[in-house]
Amino acid sequence: MAYVATRGGEKAIEQAERLFRQDLGTIDAARVETIQQTMPYLIDRVMGEASLYSEELAALALAQTGGELSEAVLVLRAWRTTQPRIAIARPVQQDEILTQRRISAAFKDIPGGQILGPTLDYSHRVLATDVLEGKPYAPPAVESAAKPAPATQPSLADWQREQGLLAPTGEAKVAPEDIPDLTREPLLFPASRAHRLQSLARAETGGVLALGYSAMRGYGNAHPTVNELRLGEAEVVVRHPRGTEFSAGRVRVSQAEVTSKEKGGFLDLGFAATFGWNEVKVIAAATLDLNSAEAPVGSPVHEEFYLYHTESVEASGFCIHFKLPHYVTFQSTLDAMRDAKAKKSAAEQKGAVERQTEPAE
Amino acid sequence: MSLDMSPAALTRATPRLMRAEPLLTMRDISKTYGDVRALRHVDATVYPGEVMGIVGESGSGKSTLLRMMNLEDTPDSGDYTLRLPNRDDGNLFDLTRYERRMLCARHIGIVYQNPHLGLLMRHSSSGNVAERLLIAGERSFDVLRTKAREALDASEFPLSRMDARPIELSGGMQQRVQLAKAIALEPALLLLDEPTTGLDVSVQALVLDTLKRLQRDRKITMVLVSHDLGVIRTMADRVMVMRHGEVVEEGLADQVFQDPQHSYTQQLVHAKL
Amino acid sequence: MSLSSLTKPWAATSYGFLDASAKRELRRKMLKAIAVPGCQMPYASREVPMARGWGTGGLQVTLTLVNPTSVVKVIDQGADDGVNAASIRRFISRVSGAGETWDTLAASIVQSRHRVPEEVMREDQILVLQVPNPEPLRGVEPNISIARQMHADADYGKLWLTLYEQIVRKGRIMQGAGYPSMVNGRHVMTPSPIPRWDVPKLNMAKHLTFLSAGREKRLFAVPPFTRVEPLVFSDRPYQVEHHADLTCRRSGVSGYFMNELPIDGGGSAFEVSDSNLGIKAIQQAEGAAVEIGKTWYRNGEFSA
Repeated sequence: MAYVATRGGEKAIEQAERLFRQDLGTIDAARVETIQQTMPYLIDRVMGEASLYSEELAALALAQTGGELSEAVLVLRAWRTTQPRIAIARPVQQDEILTQRRISAAFKDIPGGQILGPTLDYSHRVLATDVLEGKPYAPPAVESAAKPAPATQPSLADWQREQGLLAPTGEAKVAPEDIPDLTREPLLFPASRAHRLQSLARAETGGVLALGYSAMRGYGNAHPTVNELRLGEAEVVVRHPRGTEFSAGRVRVSQAEVTSKEKGGFLDLGFAATFGWNEVKVIAAATLDLNSAEAPVGSPVHEEFYLYHTESVEASGFCIHFKLPHYVTFQSTLDAMRDAKAKKSAAEQKGAVERQTEPAE
Repeated sequence: MSLDMSPAALTRATPRLMRAEPLLTMRDISKTYGDVRALRHVDATVYPGEVMGIVGESGSGKSTLLRMMNLEDTPDSGDYTLRLPNRDDGNLFDLTRYERRMLCARHIGIVYQNPHLGLLMRHSSSGNVAERLLIAGERSFDVLRTKAREALDASEFPLSRMDARPIELSGGMQQRVQLAKAIALEPALLLLDEPTTGLDVSVQALVLDTLKRLQRDRKITMVLVSHDLGVIRTMADRVMVMRHGEVVEEGLADQVFQDPQHSYTQQLVHAKL
Repeated sequence: MSLSSLTKPWAATSYGFLDASAKRELRRKMLKAIAVPGCQMPYASREVPMARGWGTGGLQVTLTLVNPTSVVKVIDQGADDGVNAASIRRFISRVSGAGETWDTLAASIVQSRHRVPEEVMREDQILVLQVPNPEPLRGVEPNISIARQMHADADYGKLWLTLYEQIVRKGRIMQGAGYPSMVNGRHVMTPSPIPRWDVPKLNMAKHLTFLSAGREKRLFAVPPFTRVEPLVFSDRPYQVEHHADLTCRRSGVSGYFMNELPIDGGGSAFEVSDSNLGIKAIQQAEGAAVEIGKTWYRNGEFSA
């Protein structure tokens, strides 16, 4: 019956999936481990978008989807949502982060210093073709600094607040369990700041970049200056039922603060943070956050616009759903169109007949 | 103010206006936006069938007051009542957003200086008029068509273009579409916010003629806001002069123009003349 | 008392895939949706192991309703053997142990994309429609916050205006599937992209209908015996697709919604869109004892 292409649907979908899996071959722990070891920034990106911090599971998701990023994120999110929420971690304070990289474009030097850390920023982007010629590339050893940088760095924003450059933070006394959780409740607008930042944290990197870039180019009203960009590792501090707090482990995090101009006597600050090290994403996301307040409805920097359209799982799912058959809706449209055409030509014929008969009478 | 504003004095001067109770009564309206006191203890009274002109420079609060009359905003304090047949809505500022919308759709028409505020530029002109009827619950396509045509005709809009989109029309024509939309349901009150500002002088005169004719034929009560004393003078029966959010003078149009009492009004009138 | 006596045995996922907290939230929202017919209720819409836009909204509702005694029918474009319908049905049955069927009469839950079956549904059946875009106002107001306010105010003037404009420009209302409809005289909903043919089946129906959009995180309902009225002008009657006189080339049934199949050399052939109705008609003709239920349309005329 029905759609020729879908006849024997059960068998067809089974074999189509097999074809995909066959191309990828056997997936074993070694492959997963290789991905995890060699692709840390890809793993970070996937963990951020999945809002699930597990390098191993992210590597597994990449392995079983062959690196189809939106599929990998979906697999992880679908797994994540079935897991119980067993504890709520203590908020991460900037000056407690084990900081590997921390820079500010707003000042030449900042309290605690500019820490470059690992980066390709100043490298020449030359493809290492020698590797393919059989000459492995072994990175030269890093020379230690005379004086090691401290493990933690103060918050620049705190210093700015003390100087009266930033608005004092309000005493938002919210119990941790009362912080709204985007993964357990719908995103409504205007969004709470918690929801906005959570949504940006798990937004699709390319989407955030595209819309953040549009704001930077001029579709927003604020041109960002990076106040502070920080890559580091944060302790996940949870409370034991007995009441003691302990670290359940460390996660790699990125965060960015961008600033632009004065607002109400203070510098305006946009913020974003995400799991993993992903500088482009947090700078672009913080730019969107910065631009949100005065964004015209419907503009790319309006929160409803950028939060909806950077949601990886929703956007990619909807995009590929257009492959599904739509012949019922199409038939319905076709019917209205044919009827309108028939009505029009009937009316024209009637008009023509009247015009023809007129002179005779 | 030395002008005699007692009802007796007004009755002597304009018996026509006082044959009825006021249609619109606003009492002690105040509104502050941020640091700006847009309206300060403003009273306004409009009688059925008259044209009330409100003059003042930009920032005087005249357009803010008109928006309040159209229930687009709520003051910090003050009452607003309209005497409508078979209705008693009390203070209109106490109505819900839904009730306001329904009341405005049925009983208040408005023409804005900026047609983008009043029109859907990419829908047909007749559709813009029909929308008003649709909000009020009209569900017959033929009736919508007929009433839209009548309203456009009464606004002296060329009917051959009734399904053209406002974006394809000239400024004067756009104002006529707004006017048709405003009068489609025979409103008790027609609000005009600088309706001819920005139009060519010749077009302005034509639109004013249409308004005058409508007023004469249909006895529509109008409140006309303008910074242009010439427009007010040709249209208004009575005039309110506003400055810095306050009413500085109010009276019959002829009196105010010929014998302004307040120094600001004197300044305005003389600057103009 | 021991830890193992206090807890359930470990399982990779909960019964029906969704965990208890997700189901609890969905049940609350489903009850609210029944209480305010046609009003869109936001819900968290968890990720499920299926791409967004592929029926994840309908799936979450079905997974919340399903129990081991349920019998589930899933159709896409009217067909039980559509690839995605087959995939969803297999998933539901795998995680819930529910029975599977192609027969509308045998189903306790019918999950569907774009169609309402032709056989009249009963009080003991639930229809779950997959919804891509739950917002009938999207075309006149893309901003969701403003659209929500418009629903709250029953502010449907602009929606009516688009219908007026279509008649002015095209001589008729051009809305194809997903015809905007007033529910219980209060909220306008999109009935999901079902053809106009199917909308009358929801009006004063005996069965409960849930409409759920997973990607857009909104669900709404048409409770049994609730008015569903397409937005039409009093002097321009509602028109369903001109399918009343078409005959299915395979099963010979006529007077139902059809799929049009272009044929070589021009012209079209037709096959009944409710594929299992066609199969049952063929089986009956071959002498099998198959029951075809009462249908909403008889001889091409709606007569429920």
